[in-house]
Amino acid sequence: MSITSESSVTKVELSPIDRSVRTPVLLFFGSAVFWLVLASLFFLLSSSQIHKPDSWWTLPGIPWLSYGRVYPAFLNCFVYGWVATAGIALGLWLLSRFSAAPFRHPVLSIYGWGVWNIGLVSGIVCLLAGTTTGRPFLEFPPYAAFILFLGFAMVGLSAISIVWRRKPGALYISEWYLIGGFLWFAWMYSTANITLANPPVPGAAQPAINWWYAGGLFDLWLTPIALAAAFYLIPKIVERPIYSERLALMGFWGLALLGGWTGMTHIIGAPLPAWMITAGIVARVLMLIPVFAIAVNFHRTMKGSFEGLRDDYALRFISTGAMIYTVYAVEGSIVSLRSVAQFTQFTLVTQVHTQLGLIGFVSLILFGAVYYIVPRLLDRQWLFPNLVTTHFWFVVTGLGLLYFSLTIGGLIQGFGLADPQVPMIAMSDLLQPFLTIQNVGVLLLVIGNITFAIAFVLILLISAPAKQREVVVEESDKAPENSAAEVSVA
Amino acid sequence: MKRITGLFWGVFLLFGLSWIGLVAYPYLTFAGLRQSKDEATGALSPQGVAGTATQGARVYAANGCFYCHSQYVRDKDEGTDIDRKWGTRRTVARDYMFDQQVFLGISRLGADLTNVGVRQTDPQWYYKLLYNPHSIGHEAVMPAYRWLFETRQIQGQPSVDAVKLGGVDAPPAGYEVVPTAEGKMLVEYLLSLKRNYPLPEAPEATE
Repeated sequence: MSITSESSVTKVELSPIDRSVRTPVLLFFGSAVFWLVLASLFFLLSSSQIHKPDSWWTLPGIPWLSYGRVYPAFLNCFVYGWVATAGIALGLWLLSRFSAAPFRHPVLSIYGWGVWNIGLVSGIVCLLAGTTTGRPFLEFPPYAAFILFLGFAMVGLSAISIVWRRKPGALYISEWYLIGGFLWFAWMYSTANITLANPPVPGAAQPAINWWYAGGLFDLWLTPIALAAAFYLIPKIVERPIYSERLALMGFWGLALLGGWTGMTHIIGAPLPAWMITAGIVARVLMLIPVFAIAVNFHRTMKGSFEGLRDDYALRFISTGAMIYTVYAVEGSIVSLRSVAQFTQFTLVTQVHTQLGLIGFVSLILFGAVYYIVPRLLDRQWLFPNLVTTHFWFVVTGLGLLYFSLTIGGLIQGFGLADPQVPMIAMSDLLQPFLTIQNVGVLLLVIGNITFAIAFVLILLISAPAKQREVVVEESDKAPENSAAEVSVA
Repeated sequence: MKRITGLFWGVFLLFGLSWIGLVAYPYLTFAGLRQSKDEATGALSPQGVAGTATQGARVYAANGCFYCHSQYVRDKDEGTDIDRKWGTRRTVARDYMFDQQVFLGISRLGADLTNVGVRQTDPQWYYKLLYNPHSIGHEAVMPAYRWLFETRQIQGQPSVDAVKLGGVDAPPAGYEVVPTAEGKMLVEYLLSLKRNYPLPEAPEATE
């Protein structure tokens, strides 16, 4: 029995699989949207503070809301609150679809949701209160990190139980990424927090572990989430199986091999053995192979269906995100080269590069996933399509302004830093116009994200029965659940 | 990919390589670091941070100083840090052997602070900077950290720590601005940042 045959029989009813995962998936998506809004507000505040530290509207003088606390609160809210939480929702939904059996342990995952969110709340409150480990991407103090991990372990176990009871047959590409991502995140988050807790490992080993974690966090947790969504939803929406499983295998194993090393490129010239940094640079450059394998695969799968970008909201977000992934990876390789890093390291170029990955690549794909999944789970449709279009254009324009202003400003800053004759104070003045533009960009981004949150709340509250239900069912009839298996046999 | 066990093994083994290289190896290697003994004087270095300065490191972290200030000096062929007089030699693993929290930093919106305690030895400079960065013409994008200070009525003798503020920042007559306990710890910590002792593995850069 497969979902596809069943949904065509019951037409308007949700499939038993969707019904069994509905509550945990909506809970995770719902809290992810909450954290996204909070992260956006922190982002707006911190980007205003770096632009105008003394103006009253950037709330100077309040320690809880000072740049040094709001900026990490933004990053942590965004990475753990939005991306990881939405990624868990996506993982539960996708893994149960592929298992072709109803989800047996929704209760464990719902408790896990509670614990995970308690971990997030306590971590963010600690950051604002000034209790932090002082380590990028691992700022949560040990107890908050422990609660967060406990929540993750509970959801992770229920996710593994889905895989365990899965129907026999080939694993689909999205499943590789999700299984890998869940295991890698559990591994690196526990390792990093245990080794860096009180008392931490000896001094110089701390940054090595810190950046091993940060690199892995991006390449082996956030990236797999986004790729799992894209590998499922692109073929599904364009109704064509993925172009090549061989390319997909190459992409996956390439990422698995290289992803643990790339973080070292953030600290070129650091007080660590040179081979560690070199390994990071080599990994970052070799990463282009899996990235291009993935990009070609997506492109070939979509070929001939590009008009879908206009008609389908979800596809528009996902394919834009997938394209930005290539840009992000290419730029990542370039700024990792020692000769380039001399100028770009420590500048806004690398800071906005991280934001490009988080917002342009991972978030855009997750937005598309939410637009695709939530109406199907609720059996409703998005109330005002204009909100979705507004969301898209505000986010894309805002990100564009942010990215180009800080990249250009960052390059100027980099050449200034490289010239010892240029005093540090002069750099702040040079950066002012670019910081103004990025502030406008972030404002647009935030408006876009709030539009998204409004659309999300509306679909939860107001029951507008899906007019195009026939279309929806028809679409799921051609689900790649089975076509995927066919590809892997081929 | 047909077998789930194959996936599990691949996932563990491939990522395990980076775990060995970047977690286990540095842990084992750097645990064995010892202080360097100067042949002539017998002095041991680095000495590490002591007393209230260690608590100052926590204030440094709490206020996110490391999001804009780095604490490492790159070698001459990797950047112009030494030309900027941020240090006379590159920093190496041994420089950080006693640090509870290593703040390498990834941004230089502000200056590098590896050796700020060598460059600026007057606590008043730090107090003025933290109270109002513009007061000494510094760091236009740096915020003021007023919560590390309090304005209070002078009781008898003025405090020795009172910040010597002028212009718009000057407190009203009969009042003084003094750093809080946290403010003092932070400045202690910054004053202690002196990684200018010689280490054999990092000879001073020659022109």
